[in-house]
Amino acid sequence: MRSLGRALIALAVGGLVMGLAAIAIILSSHHMSHRGTWAIFGAILGWSFIGTGLYAWWRRPENHSGALMAWVGFAWFLSPLSFSDNEAIFGVGLFIDAVAIAALAHLILAFPSGRLATRYHRALMASGYFSAVVLQLPALVVYDSAHSSDCKGCPANPFLISANDDLYSFFRGLLNLSAVIVIALIAREVIRRIRRARGSERQVYSPVTYAGGAALVAFGCVFASVVVGGQSATVLQFMAFAAFVTVPYAFMGGLIRGQLSRAGAVAELVEALGRTDDRRRSLRDSIATALGDSSLSIAYWIPAQQAYVDSDGQRVELPAPGSGRIATPIERGGAPLAVILHDEALSEERDLVRAIGGAAALTLENERLAAELRARIDDLRASRARIVQAADEERRRLERDLHDGAQQRLIALQLNLKMATASLEDPEAARAMIDEAITELSEATAELRELARGIHPAILTDRGLDAAVTALAGRAPIPVELRALPRERLDAPIESTAYFVVAEALTNVARYSQATHAEVEIDRDNGRLVVEVRDDGIGGAEPQRGSGLRGLADRVAAVDGQLRVTSRPGAGTTVHAEIPCAR
Amino acid sequence: MRLLIVDDHRSFRDAARRVLESAGFAVVGEAADGQSAMVAVSELRPDIVLLDVQLPDIDGFEVASRLTGKGHAPAIVMTSSRDAADFGPLVTQSGARGFVHKADLSGAAIGALLE
Repeated sequence: MRSLGRALIALAVGGLVMGLAAIAIILSSHHMSHRGTWAIFGAILGWSFIGTGLYAWWRRPENHSGALMAWVGFAWFLSPLSFSDNEAIFGVGLFIDAVAIAALAHLILAFPSGRLATRYHRALMASGYFSAVVLQLPALVVYDSAHSSDCKGCPANPFLISANDDLYSFFRGLLNLSAVIVIALIAREVIRRIRRARGSERQVYSPVTYAGGAALVAFGCVFASVVVGGQSATVLQFMAFAAFVTVPYAFMGGLIRGQLSRAGAVAELVEALGRTDDRRRSLRDSIATALGDSSLSIAYWIPAQQAYVDSDGQRVELPAPGSGRIATPIERGGAPLAVILHDEALSEERDLVRAIGGAAALTLENERLAAELRARIDDLRASRARIVQAADEERRRLERDLHDGAQQRLIALQLNLKMATASLEDPEAARAMIDEAITELSEATAELRELARGIHPAILTDRGLDAAVTALAGRAPIPVELRALPRERLDAPIESTAYFVVAEALTNVARYSQATHAEVEIDRDNGRLVVEVRDDGIGGAEPQRGSGLRGLADRVAAVDGQLRVTSRPGAGTTVHAEIPCAR
Repeated sequence: MRLLIVDDHRSFRDAARRVLESAGFAVVGEAADGQSAMVAVSELRPDIVLLDVQLPDIDGFEVASRLTGKGHAPAIVMTSSRDAADFGPLVTQSGARGFVHKADLSGAAIGALLE
């Protein structure tokens, strides 16, 4: 910042010196009228541009408009070189006479960011500078200034090769025509931009565009009047310079108004926040009013979800680049608090957006907490519905398993035993039927055993997590290494949650993972029971899609725990649950 | 009497065949779902169909309605391991002759419904 300050002071001194030099050249000129007026008018114009430009550059270094503004001033101070009586200086002056007008066009086209936004704009400006400088050359080599009727008392033109008045008129005409075309194209772009601008951008910056645009158009008319054969009209010239000189003041006014409106907007917002009753509605409305963007919305950062939500707790996606919307983050104490989603037109005013956000930070924090609560309520509501649904599903499955399995076998057994009773006079037939009945009975018993274990494993109730998980690992179809298991008994809901995490994870390992090996680790850590099941399978499990893992997450959440599934394709799957466990 | 057994559980079909054959019925075929039951009825033309209520494809009552809607329909006896009371009026509405609980299946129970 200090080096920028020094550079700007150096530029200011340079501008002062150039202005004084311009005054000296004009006052000593023998080939211009109204020298005193031009000297004062010219110096005021150049210094105004340089002064406001350097000030704006210092206040908002990231914005290039200030630098462009100063550039117009410096270019302006180059044009009096053509009033010099010195041949060489006069020649240079002829050559760069029109650079100041090209620089003004550059400023207006690049306003308000100071950057040429599109490739077309860059091409337009390149042709502007080209016609202002390079296109002068053909006219200059045939221009006999010393004997010209429109330049009485002028020194000889150092570029002159062969004097030819007709050719000179032709090249001048060509030059002016190209200037008129470029100015017309730039004016069209500026009009388009004014139509598109809205809100604070339009309020604060339009005076510069209007003043600069008017100056450009007036210069265009001056050039056009030469093209159609007339001399450049004095009135038009006067109008062009009059509009030109207002540009820096319009720019300055805009800057001050911007700062005032910024301070005013923040003050109004603070006042509005103080008197509001319906906070949620008016926080957004107050910020929207302060920033002049009725489409504005606010999204709050929810750390637990690592996502932004609206005031109703619904998830919000941040706008993509090029969507016309911008998200400006608001922080409090270095931590993300919220984002203000606003129109792209406010992109030059992000400091203001942040200032507004800073002023409303406390209210935003309250809103964030409320939104977090709503999001949690929504989550809880959804998970409660899923738990009820899962319980229903589980009951249906049990009924189906009982009906299709054990019940059918017992009925067949009953029929077979009846038949055996009826066939007692044929002992061989009776024996065969009783053998079949015994087979049915043992299969029915096995099915009932499996079913009962699925409902709740007796070994977990009787012997605890250690024995139950060991038994689970023993029944798994692939080797399961038990890294750590708690020896002590825990509260029943915690034991059964941990058990079902391992059971579901191992079922998934067997069904989907194609793993050759799995590990189970259950540890107590700082008031939590940490359950982890890892496999070396294909990975790629999606917890959001499968009902099993989602149901498990709900089950863990029901005891205030958290479930995380890491399953990158090709890198195996890790199911990690943390369950609060005071005992 | 020619009889067709329709049930998706093999253990029950085996036991039912044994019970009914010993009671003098000619079990001419078995089917494990509603679709193949319809085909078997049109091919084998049984006099009686012992029809399970819960089939994997078409509901047993629906199968009964479709069979009794045609001419020369066989007599249909619905069966299930659930209670008849669980089905309310569905048995009579389907056009079936009656209902026998699977555990109570016997030649006499079928015969009583056919009278």
